[in-house]
Parts: sequence; C-alpha cells; structure tokens
Amino acid sequence: MPTPAASNHSAGPEELIARLKSAHSPREAKLKALRDLKNRIIGNRTKKLVFLKLGAVPAVVGILSSAAAIVGRGGDGESLEFHESVLIQSAATLGSFACGLDAGVKAVLDAGAFPLLLSLISHSNEKISDASARTLRMIYQSKLPPKFDFLLEKNMGFLLSLLNTENENLTCLGASILSHSCQTPLEQQVLNEAGVLKRLVGLLGGSLTQKDGCLEALAAIIKNNQEIAKRFMEPRNGAELNTVVELIKDKNPRTRLLACTCIVSLRNSLVPCFHESGLRNRLILVLCELMDDPSQVGDEAPFVLSDLTSQKEDMQKIAAEASVIEKLCEQLNKGSLTPKRLEGVFLALADLCSKLECSRDKVLNSKVLTSLIQALSHESAAVRRASASLLKNMARSVKNLSAGHFMNESVVLPLVQLLLDPCTSVQIAALGAISNIVVDFNPQKPLFIKCGGVKHLVHLSQSMDSNIRINALWALKNLLFHVDNKCKEEILLELSSSSMASLISDPDPSVQEQALALIRNLVDGTLNSIEYVFGEDCPLLHAIGRQLRHSSSTEVLTQAMYTMSNIASGNEHHKEAIMAQLFPHEGKDMENILIKHLRSVDSQLRIAAAWTITNLTFPGCPGTSGRVAELRNANVVSELKNMVNDPCLDARLRIRTALGQLMMFIDA
Amino acid sequence: MDLFFGDYLLSLSFLFPFWFISIGKEAYNHEGYVDAAEKFRTKSGTEPDIDLATITDRMMVKKAVQDGNVEDAIEKVNDLNPEILDTNPQLFFHLQQQRLIELIRNGKVEEALEFAQEELAPRGEENQRFLEELERTVALLAFVDVANSPVSDLLDMSQRFKTASEVNAAILASQSHEKDPKLPSLLKILVLVQNQLDEKAIYPRIKDFSTQLLKNVVFDI
Repeated sequence: MPTPAASNHSAGPEELIARLKSAHSPREAKLKALRDLKNRIIGNRTKKLVFLKLGAVPAVVGILSSAAAIVGRGGDGESLEFHESVLIQSAATLGSFACGLDAGVKAVLDAGAFPLLLSLISHSNEKISDASARTLRMIYQSKLPPKFDFLLEKNMGFLLSLLNTENENLTCLGASILSHSCQTPLEQQVLNEAGVLKRLVGLLGGSLTQKDGCLEALAAIIKNNQEIAKRFMEPRNGAELNTVVELIKDKNPRTRLLACTCIVSLRNSLVPCFHESGLRNRLILVLCELMDDPSQVGDEAPFVLSDLTSQKEDMQKIAAEASVIEKLCEQLNKGSLTPKRLEGVFLALADLCSKLECSRDKVLNSKVLTSLIQALSHESAAVRRASASLLKNMARSVKNLSAGHFMNESVVLPLVQLLLDPCTSVQIAALGAISNIVVDFNPQKPLFIKCGGVKHLVHLSQSMDSNIRINALWALKNLLFHVDNKCKEEILLELSSSSMASLISDPDPSVQEQALALIRNLVDGTLNSIEYVFGEDCPLLHAIGRQLRHSSSTEVLTQAMYTMSNIASGNEHHKEAIMAQLFPHEGKDMENILIKHLRSVDSQLRIAAAWTITNLTFPGCPGTSGRVAELRNANVVSELKNMVNDPCLDARLRIRTALGQLMMFIDA
Repeated sequence: MDLFFGDYLLSLSFLFPFWFISIGKEAYNHEGYVDAAEKFRTKSGTEPDIDLATITDRMMVKKAVQDGNVEDAIEKVNDLNPEILDTNPQLFFHLQQQRLIELIRNGKVEEALEFAQEELAPRGEENQRFLEELERTVALLAFVDVANSPVSDLLDMSQRFKTASEVNAAILASQSHEKDPKLPSLLKILVLVQNQLDEKAIYPRIKDFSTQLLKNVVFDI
C-alpha cells in the first residue's frame, strides 16, 4: 500500500523537520509528518542520531505540549480525536528517541517533556496514558532521569498506585523507577515495608516485559541487604523465592539472566540456606549456557557469574568442576569479541582464578595467554583493567611463576606501558599484576628493570592517589625481595632516601606499612644494603624509629620492627645505631618501646621484637656485652623471662633463643 | 520398541479433551484464525482469554508482509506497539531486508541501491551479527540473472512467510502469549511416533486427525 499524498515519502530529514516546525503547515500535514518521523526512527539508531542533530526533539515536545493543552481544554471546538492522535504520536516519537539511546533521553529531558509526560499517564484515554508511560519507562531505563525520592510520602503513594494497577505499561513504569532509583539501604527498607517486594513477585506472572522489569526491580531492592534477603527467604515467604527460582528455567534468555541476578543478590547477602547445592549448580549451569547468547544477555552473563563466584571458594570450585573455565577460554579463542564481552570474560576468569591453583592451570593450558597479552593494549580501559586483573590472579601461581611463564618481554612490556595509563584503575590493576610477577623466585629480575619498570614504579610511588602509592610500593617491595646485588644497585639508583623517608611518614598507614616493608626487604642482604639506610643524617633510620615510637597500627609497627631487626644483623655501627633508636637519651621517662612491643597482643610484633634482640646481641661482636648490659638495665631480660611460656609457639621459640643468648653473657 | 509405544501413549494423553480445549484455542488464536476461534468458543463453551480485536490487528500486519507491503506492515506494527521494533534489532533488520528484496523483485534497481546504502548498511554497522546476512541480500543486486544465482532463495515466497512469521511471533510475545503453540508440535510428534510404530507394531492408529480428535471432544466432555 503506497503511502497517501507523496508529500512525506521522499522528503529528506531537514525537510521533514521543517514541516514539523512550520507554523504554516496544515495540521493534517503536521500529523502525517509526525507519524512519518516516528516510523523512520523506530528501530533505527542511525536515523535517531540524524534527527536529534536537526533538533527534532524540541520540535516534537512543542507539538506534544500544545496538543496536551488543547486536549485539556476539551478540543477547543475542533476534533478532540485529532488532537488526541497528535498527542499519542508525539509521545510515541519521544519514546522512540529515548529508547536505548542516552543522547535521546537527554534531549527529551532537556526539552522539558518530563513533567508533561508524568501528568499524561493518568489520562482517561488509555492510548495516551500508555504512550506516555512507555516513554517515561524508556527514560528511567537510562541513567539520566532525576532520582526518584522514595522517602517522600506522596512519591511512595504514586509508586504504589503504579504498581497496583492492572495496566502493564504503568506497572512496568513503576518497576523501572525502582530499578533506577533504589540505591540506599534506607530506601530498600522503606520499600520493603510498604509491601513492594510482595507486589513485584505477584507481577512476575505477567508478560515478558513485566516479568523482566519486576525481576530487575527485585534485584535492586534486595541487593547487598542482608536483612531484606533474610526476610525474603523465610519459610512463609518460601513461595516467593520459588517463583524467582523457577524463572531461571524461563524460555526467554533475558528473563533467565535477570532471575539469576536476583538469586545472586540474595546469595551475596550471605543467607545460610543457600548452601543447598542443587541451586548453586543450577545457577552456574544456566549462566554458562547464557554466555552463548549472541545478544546483550550473553555480554552480561559473565558479570553475573563474576558476582556469584567473587571471593567465594566454594562457588569457584563448583564452577571449575562444571568446566566453566574451559567455556570462557573457548569464547576468548573464538576471537572478535565486543569490548563488553571481553571485559566480562576476563573478569569472570579473574574471579575463578583468584583462589584455586587448578583453575589457574586450566587457564594457562587453554592457550589464552596471547589474547590476554593483546587485551592489555586494548582501546577500552575496562578491558585493559580486566585483563590485568586476570594476569594478577594467574601470577598467584607459584608453580607457573617459577616456570617463568610470566617473566618475558611479551608480558612485561605491555604491563609497564599500563603504568602510564590515563585511567587510574587500570594503573592499579597493572601494579597488582606486576607485584605478583616480580616475586620471581629466580634471583635474577633484570628483565623488568631493563624494560624501564623501576622508574615508573618509583614515579607512581609519589602519586597523589594513596591507592596508587600503596600498590606501587608493594610492587617495589616484591621486586626487592631476595634480589641480587647488581639489581639492587640499579633499583637504588632510582629510589631516593628522602622520598622513602617521607613515604614512611605518609599520612596513610597502609602506605607507611608498604614503605617500611620495602625497606625491610631492601636491607635484607649484604652490608651494603644496610648502608643505604644510613646516609647524611640518616633520615630513613630516624623515620623508622619515629614510627616505632608513635604508630598505633600493628601492621606498621611489625614492619618497622622487622626492619630494625634486619639492620641489627649488620656490623657494630649498625647495631649501635639501632640501640640508639630503641633507647634514645632524651626523655628518660619515655616508655621503653622494646618492652611495649614485647608485650603486644600481636604475636608477629612480639616475634619481630625477639628477633631484634637476638640480632643485637649476637655473640662474637665486640660491643655485644655492652648491649646486653644496657638491655638488662632496661629490664628487657626480666621481661623475656616472663614470656618463656608465650601462647604462640613461634614467639616462644624466638623468645627462648633470645633469652638463651642473653643468659650466655650474663652468666659468663 | 517399548520406547515408541510409550511416546505414542504419551502424545495421545496430551490430547485428552480438557487439555485439548486450551491448546486448541491457543493454536487457532496464534495463526490468527478469528472465525475458527469464535466457532471453537461456541462449540466448547469457553471464554477467549484475549480480545479478538487484537488478533485482527496482528493478522493485518502478517498479511501485509505476506503480500510484500513491508512499509505498510512496519507502520501497523508501530501503531500496535512502538516498542516491538525498537527493542528487536533482528526483526527490524529482517523487515528492512524484505523491503530491499521487494524493491529488487519489482525491478526498481536504483531505488534498491539507494535503500541498501541508506537503510541496510547502517544495520550492519550497528550490529556485526547482521553482516553475513546483509552481504547475501546485497548480493542480489550483483547478479543479472537473479533467479539462477546462489541467493535466489531470498526471492522465494517462503522468505516472505518467514519474515511474516517472525513479526507474528514478536507481536504475540509482546502481548504475553506463548511464542509457540503446543498443538502443532504435539501433532508433529504424534505423526512421527505413528510413523515409527508402523514399522514395529499393530496399534489403534489415528488416520483422520480432524474427525478423530473432534469426536473425542464432542463425546467425552
């Protein structure tokens, strides 16, 4: 059937818009132009963008608003039906612009259509109400609309009225508002108390759109809320849970995915009855099968899998047994994946490799290392981050590290490049991977240094972002672990003691901890290493001593004490310097820190203190007897005697050794 | 052999009267046979679950595609529910594809070329999945003797019916109806099983499905 009045048929976009905007077009022509516009853009993203640029949305909003006004006045003596048609067509056109297109949503909101559409959903003409409700739903499915305040009573009333109707367009709008705006635990609680959860479950028997919309809303309300999850799972609510569980078998892939998402939300709220293994296995199998879906559902499935297994060893085991890793690697090897899907696959693999050695082996054996390395230079930051995270977790495998699978140029070079990435989270992920890779058990770590990594790490250790400082220091610390002297020298060329001293005194205790641990590793070795800590005015040594005296963080104190212990294993000069730090001459009534730390509730700190004493009083050194006397005068010996039955076995051993050594001098 | 007999009995059991009523009605609704649905309702005394008027709308869309009036079909679907084509890129692509096929069939080569560039190429850009099918469709423009080309199947009426069926299913899905009615599938199973059993056993074979089954309905209620 050819379109009547060839007027619109071959009109270009500009012409069509002109016709819509013109005050002179006869109104029937305008309606035709509107319908034509609608039919041109529905389903057609490219055309939507073209028309958006031409200012179609403000024009249509203008038409919508004048038609609404005329309809509100009863038609102004003209055909009410005509104006209602205009209203419906313009609302539908706006809805299409907003459908899945953020630029469209923004244009609709900017043109001021939101309040008007809101008022139209209660119109007596169902078609008008439907078209407006649909458009609003499209808007709420994006991230752009104004946040809906559930805590306002009249808003809650409005939402409940939407959910309680029989009209699907309105209930789906209610569900979209929920999915979009429900964010805080307080909101979740208020919604739960208003009976929204129950109503949503009741709506799960409706059409596809309603089912999916309600599942999404359910997930938003339950998410990370242990209280609500518990109530949802209670025996008398068992039927509600079952309704959702049944939906993981639904025909429609998106419904299955959303049902899984809901259940995973419940799972992550640590509800005990989730240990029913049948359900856990089913979830894994469904998600695995959903990954084959070519649409967006397949893109999102790995993310849900990641949520399900992240930090949970039991789930990771189940997934490994269900061959999920092989499936994910197969996807990777198929190639030409979209960035979103790549990110999902890498994230899921990263989670699955986080604790289980067998999983890391499986990934390596699936020959995906090449795709992984390529992904490190992907144009999408999210993909770079996800692939670096996977590499980090794979490098937790001691076996494979020692086999040298990671310490080669093809891996190290792109990782070093990521240290310069514009995106912070990518830098942190790369730092994590490097931290693990440089714990090379082979005493030679020259490759990383050769690739210019140290310079970047040192630079990052000065970053404004404390997270980056922590991770950069961690990587340096690992690099310095048992490294040979030649490499150590090269690293020391880049590190400056004044910057290390300020890092030891960093405002963030976690940074202090890493910095101290770095120095601890640094001075572990030959005498030359220990000399580094001494320089003009020994800024480093003073900084370490200060932390030992003033810090309240057990982790920081432990690292500081171990560092002292390592320094104390050096020559006379070194040992005397430590003594000076432990027993400063100023402030005689200052608390004896050695005794304070020997009395710590933390066993590691006690052990470190005992080691320090052992090293300070090593037999065969000229000044040992002097040091023993000083320790005895400071009541350290009697303190040790009190500790010979320390509850911690390791501590007991260290203390008895130290005591034994001291007694050798005292008895002599 | 036991397996086949079991299947046979199973498929028969699905055709018990009460079950049959609900799936029969469903099948008639699905294909859009309004009259049949009406008759069924009067004969068996059940209320239709859906507004029979919406069947007419859906029938018009399907007919438009089957007649090759794709633009008209698109307009009608959008009037029925603008979300259907906006959220179903595969269906939209297939409808555009059918439009191109019709232009080529009618010898409008220049218009077809323009259409392919303006409307179809962007679909391939928006979604890589469609590239292969897109290439096949555009290949129609390359052959002088289209009827004997490797892509001639696209010009068959069966292609139109395929597209029509896809639209039909999408509309149904949006109206919260089952995508696949059970009756045709069950009949297919029954036929298959009877064919298998023919080789192996003697059994009460159903020869005439319409009278045999209707007989059960009339007498056993």
